[in-house]
Amino acid sequence: MKPLLQMTDLHGGYGDANILHGVNLHVAPAEIVVIVGPNGAGKSTAMKAIFGLLKIRGGSVTVGGVDITGWEPNRIVEAGVCYVPQVDNVFREMTVHENLEMGAFLRSGDLSAAYDRVYGLFPDLKERRKALAGNLSGGQRQMVAMGRALMLEPKILLLDEPTAGLSPKYMEQIFQISRDVRDTGVAILLVEQHAKQALAFADRGYVLASGCNRHEGTGADLLADRDVADMFLGG
Amino acid sequence: MEWIGFANYAVFMAIFICIYALLSLGLNIQWGFTGLFNAGIAGFFAVGAYTSAVLTSPAADGRLGGFDLPFWVGWIGAMVAAALIAWPIGKICLRFRSDYLAIATIGVAEIIRLVIKSEDWLTNSARGITDIPRPLGDLSYTMSQLAYLGIVMAILLVAYLMVERQIASPWGRMMRAIRDNEDAARAMGKDVPYRRLEAFIFGSALMGLGGALFAHFNRSITPEAIDPMVATFLVWIMLILGGSGNNRGAILGVAVVWIIWSLSEIVTDQFPHEYAVKAKYLRIFLIGLMLQLVLRFRPEGLLPEASGERKPVGKPSD
Amino acid sequence: MGALEIINFYLVPGLVVGSIYALGAVGITLVFAILRYAHLAHGDLATLGAFLGLGLVTALGISPYLALTAVMALTAVVAVGIDRVFYDYLRERPKIVTVMASLGIALMVRAIVQMVWGVDSQTYTRGIVRPENWFGIRVRDRELITIVAMIVLVVALQLFLQRSKWGKAMRAMSDNPDLALLSGVDNGKVVTITWVIVGGLCAAAGLFLGLNFELKAMMGWSMLLPMFAAAILGGVGRVEGAVLGGLIVGVAEEMSTLFLPTEYKAATAFAILLLMLLVRPTGLLRGKVL
Ligand SMILES: Nc1ncnc2c1ncn2[C@@H]1O[C@H](COP(=O)(O)OP(=O)(O)O)[C@@H](O)[C@H]1O
Ligand SMILES: [Mg+2]
Repeated sequence: MKPLLQMTDLHGGYGDANILHGVNLHVAPAEIVVIVGPNGAGKSTAMKAIFGLLKIRGGSVTVGGVDITGWEPNRIVEAGVCYVPQVDNVFREMTVHENLEMGAFLRSGDLSAAYDRVYGLFPDLKERRKALAGNLSGGQRQMVAMGRALMLEPKILLLDEPTAGLSPKYMEQIFQISRDVRDTGVAILLVEQHAKQALAFADRGYVLASGCNRHEGTGADLLADRDVADMFLGG
Repeated sequence: MEWIGFANYAVFMAIFICIYALLSLGLNIQWGFTGLFNAGIAGFFAVGAYTSAVLTSPAADGRLGGFDLPFWVGWIGAMVAAALIAWPIGKICLRFRSDYLAIATIGVAEIIRLVIKSEDWLTNSARGITDIPRPLGDLSYTMSQLAYLGIVMAILLVAYLMVERQIASPWGRMMRAIRDNEDAARAMGKDVPYRRLEAFIFGSALMGLGGALFAHFNRSITPEAIDPMVATFLVWIMLILGGSGNNRGAILGVAVVWIIWSLSEIVTDQFPHEYAVKAKYLRIFLIGLMLQLVLRFRPEGLLPEASGERKPVGKPSD
Repeated sequence: MGALEIINFYLVPGLVVGSIYALGAVGITLVFAILRYAHLAHGDLATLGAFLGLGLVTALGISPYLALTAVMALTAVVAVGIDRVFYDYLRERPKIVTVMASLGIALMVRAIVQMVWGVDSQTYTRGIVRPENWFGIRVRDRELITIVAMIVLVVALQLFLQRSKWGKAMRAMSDNPDLALLSGVDNGKVVTITWVIVGGLCAAAGLFLGLNFELKAMMGWSMLLPMFAAAILGGVGRVEGAVLGGLIVGVAEEMSTLFLPTEYKAATAFAILLLMLLVRPTGLLRGKVL
């Protein structure tokens, strides 16, 4: 199938030094793709690169065949890409509902269906819609972050370690919601620390190390791969 | 005899350039090497000028001192006094981004101005302090000007060499590391606020010394001797134009800006009175505009910081 | 000294000048929180607003109150213009560079005021206004109007920030700029709206300062320190904090004359500023620390 998102031979970094040395990946519509790799491998950096949040020195990113490299973030959002960063991913001083409103910033018209959908995915949030996001627990905050991104009804959702620091119960919940979201036709690209669980749940996976692709394949293949296992699946 | 007048004027200018160069060097330590925003240069300058004036002028009725001490005691006192003012301000503000230091130094300069204007017992208020001795000031006019030029040049040279040595030392490398990437420096276990405090105090002391040299050159100091905003701002434009992070640039900038500033004054003084007043403000406007243009088109200044060292403060970060 | 004297000689004047500081401090806090730098030309922009008001009052013969909205609009345009011509190019550079540019702008704006309107003190209206007596509390009309106008402007601003789409975008930008961009907020538009609001508030502060006291070229610059003290006291980014801070600084300045020579009024604001940075840099209402 024609990829929805494609990153080709991407090079870039924050200051003078490059962090990414030629990363390639692609995501097809309604596919769940996971990026795993050791800490500092450049997983978050690769995601930020899609939004041009660092200095790109080579390569390109396309969405639905359109080259979006170097676009302003608001145009990339308009193109249907929504991103939940690893940290600082909610507006702490705004209420849960206002966070969702910000997610829908580029939409106009009647949004009640969108609110219903998000509150349906995250019933906890509906109860706390007037609470400040900064006062929520870590798991609830992660839900606000995902809810904000879903308000725009994106074609592809980027999630950077959505389960970091969460209890297994929440982790399972987030994975389940991701599947529900995918079933509505949204592609998901996510970075995960919990490599085993993530590879088991994703359609395909990439292993990134030192800013380069190391392995790629279906979740099951990667789980079975000796190299991958040695690298970080704990033997 | 035209050329004697001209030579005298040149010497006069040169002395001022040396004094401003000390201020510019002091600011270079703070801003150029450490990234600290001092918007109260004139305050530290005034503290130095008055401290040395009180210490070295002959005894006078109705105010503290004068203590009639040798000039060098006054100059050291000026540096110490400026440093003592810098210390608490730096202690409080250097934990935060430099914006806070900018505001606090504006405040401190304002308070210093108020004290100078209203504390009779300390500064003799509007009448100011006179009879400040000038070293070798008993010589004939031209000779004594030349002698003073020699003294300030020597002091400038010593200060320049000291700063250069300090900047090339591990201390200087550490300062630049902190300036360029505070998080990384902090992660390496460097005590960032303390290092900054050192730089802030050191730079302020040089500004105090500049004030003292000015007071002894004029043989008097009054609250009106210096317009705080204009003086502070001139030093800033000197450093930025010359090249912050480069001591030679800092001094070159002083010469260029001071010559432009003085020549433009000569030009506007020729105007009829009603325009002359306006022209004064036009000059200030233009110097402000010059800063904007330098910041935009040549942020690294005339003599950029040597390569191999990282980008100067104010270059695009990424 | 009786309670009535305290009220008449310290509290009322303190609240009036405090309302003026509040108008300025709200602008400072918005710039600090949304654009993320200390805007040192804030006071001189207020001076410009005050003198633009003088221009309108003398040219059209209208009352300064009538001139208010026009002056706010004019100054807003000037503020947006300054941002476009000077600050905008520095956006990608460390914010402290913009702080420096704003110091230069302060000097430039003041120089223009001095060239156009001269350096002598001026007033909007001549003559002495006697205060009205309200059950022993003596307040001049213009003082009452100053306080009421401040409240009206701040309430309107709060409604805008809490209810409107772009007001929320401004709050989002202040809260988490990266996430606001990732939500599709157009930063340039937020910057423009911020300057419109800030310029308008600046002009109002300047106009009321000129109305209650006199107009001079240094009027705004001398207000800079109390305005910053108020913004930091209230908590950077907190509009209601800036108002509270402004009122406290204003009253504290007036009260300080009970213990200190009047010349040192300005030192009160400075002391409050340093004290807050020392003991509670987030301010009374838990704002940001940059
Ligand atoms: N904002 C930043 N500025 C400079 N370097 C960064 C920044 N963020 C991350 N890095 C560096 O980039 C590398 C990759 O980081 P990251 O992409 O966050 O790794 P991962 O998400 O795979 O753990 C690391 O060496 C990290 O130190
Ligand atoms: Mg990461």
